[in-house]
Amino acid sequence: MAEKRKSSKSERAGMASRSHGSDVVRVDFAFKRELAQKVEGDLANFCYQCGACVGDCPATRYSPAFNPREIMLKVLYGLESELLGPDSVLWQCTNCYGCHERCPQEVKPVEVIISLKNMLADRGLAPPAADKVIQTFMSNGRTVPDNPAIDKQRAKFDLPPLRTVPMDEVLALIGSEVEEESGS
Amino acid sequence: MKRYAFFPGCLIPARHPAMEFAIRSSLPKLGIEIVDLEGASCCPDPIYFKSKDKLDWLAVAARNLTLAEDLGLDIFTNCSGCTATLSETYHLLQDEELRDRVNQRLARIDREYRGTSRVRHIATLVRDEVGYDAVRESVERPLEGLKVAIHYGCHLLKPSRIMQVDNPDNPQVLERLIEALGATPVRHANWYLCCGKACDGEDIPNQMMHDLLATVHDEKADVLGMICPTCFGQFDHGQMKIAKLFDEDFHTPPIYYFQLLAFAQGVPYEKLGFERQRFKPVALQRYEEVAAK
Repeated sequence: MAEKRKSSKSERAGMASRSHGSDVVRVDFAFKRELAQKVEGDLANFCYQCGACVGDCPATRYSPAFNPREIMLKVLYGLESELLGPDSVLWQCTNCYGCHERCPQEVKPVEVIISLKNMLADRGLAPPAADKVIQTFMSNGRTVPDNPAIDKQRAKFDLPPLRTVPMDEVLALIGSEVEEESGS
Repeated sequence: MKRYAFFPGCLIPARHPAMEFAIRSSLPKLGIEIVDLEGASCCPDPIYFKSKDKLDWLAVAARNLTLAEDLGLDIFTNCSGCTATLSETYHLLQDEELRDRVNQRLARIDREYRGTSRVRHIATLVRDEVGYDAVRESVERPLEGLKVAIHYGCHLLKPSRIMQVDNPDNPQVLERLIEALGATPVRHANWYLCCGKACDGEDIPNQMMHDLLATVHDEKADVLGMICPTCFGQFDHGQMKIAKLFDEDFHTPPIYYFQLLAFAQGVPYEKLGFERQRFKPVALQRYEEVAAK
């Protein structure tokens, strides 16, 4: 695993952006180290910007703002402020996995994008649709809210009521422990 | 009978019980015994739950897989999203370091993931363990002359190294499964396009669905055969929404493959829950009339 992040937030802020008016790009390694902590977050390092991910991308076809190659480039540069803001363009990804299929470097751009979404969630910047799914899951272990009409519908097909999810077991799995993180 | 642990997920049992009914009706006729999994949760969902925290997502998914491991059975799924989550978990946890991290989580509930249960999508289960010929033999009323447009959806096929279902550039499994019912599959021009459901916002998915539905409509098919409950929603109430929004006459009824199979195997039309669909596959009714004569 990548080493734990040591730099402070203010240190990151100072090196986060492209310096305008010159060709110099300052790479924000603190951002990249945080991303590398996420499962498969470090894969963008292998990106050589060939653009194979772009041709098949349905989000690119319908939204000029979304381009997986450019997102990987911003990750390589560590341009946190262009990736991790409110209403991030990352949520336009359709999760079709076409880029994962096409990438000759096994960068899995969609997985890097999902790792970036993990960072957005850490910062409280997930869209309402995502929060809703998580809340429902935390309440009943499913993505569909409880509703008595469900079991009535099921009975019409001679199906038993939905099985109860043992929430104590499921919730015990959520969230890292401090000692676990430092050992990883 | 070959025995498999059934992972039904959330959408099909809660929103589309007719699909679950069709699966439970049709698989035993193909020599598959369904073993229910006690204590399963959401897979969890590969879009929003995964976007919150991948390690939480892996830990919950791994717990679900251990339930099948306890039974010593391979697991089969009926939803492309569940297939994506569980197949990817199986694949990722071949990495020892990651498996250790996930097993640290599972140790909190005295469970351990071992990686002994394979994940199979129901379509590949039928293709590989039953075979197209046995499907054909189980059919009581061949759907000759029924034109079925095909929509695969994304997660059944991609990423192919992990899903291990079919070639995503020229898939065959749904076409062959439809042919086994006596029907005629057709590939519409935008067959590979995503349904857009997992894309946040309105405009991009609406445009995507419009272009998809336009080429489905061009085929003038009797029904649109599919395998994913998420895509199904986009093609049922979603089709009505897009038709209105763009002022188009889109109206091809979507149908989940296993409902079509159950119908061909002789389950009456009115028992398959089609009355709940916005677009009803009424073209099937002519095969009941023929059988009644």
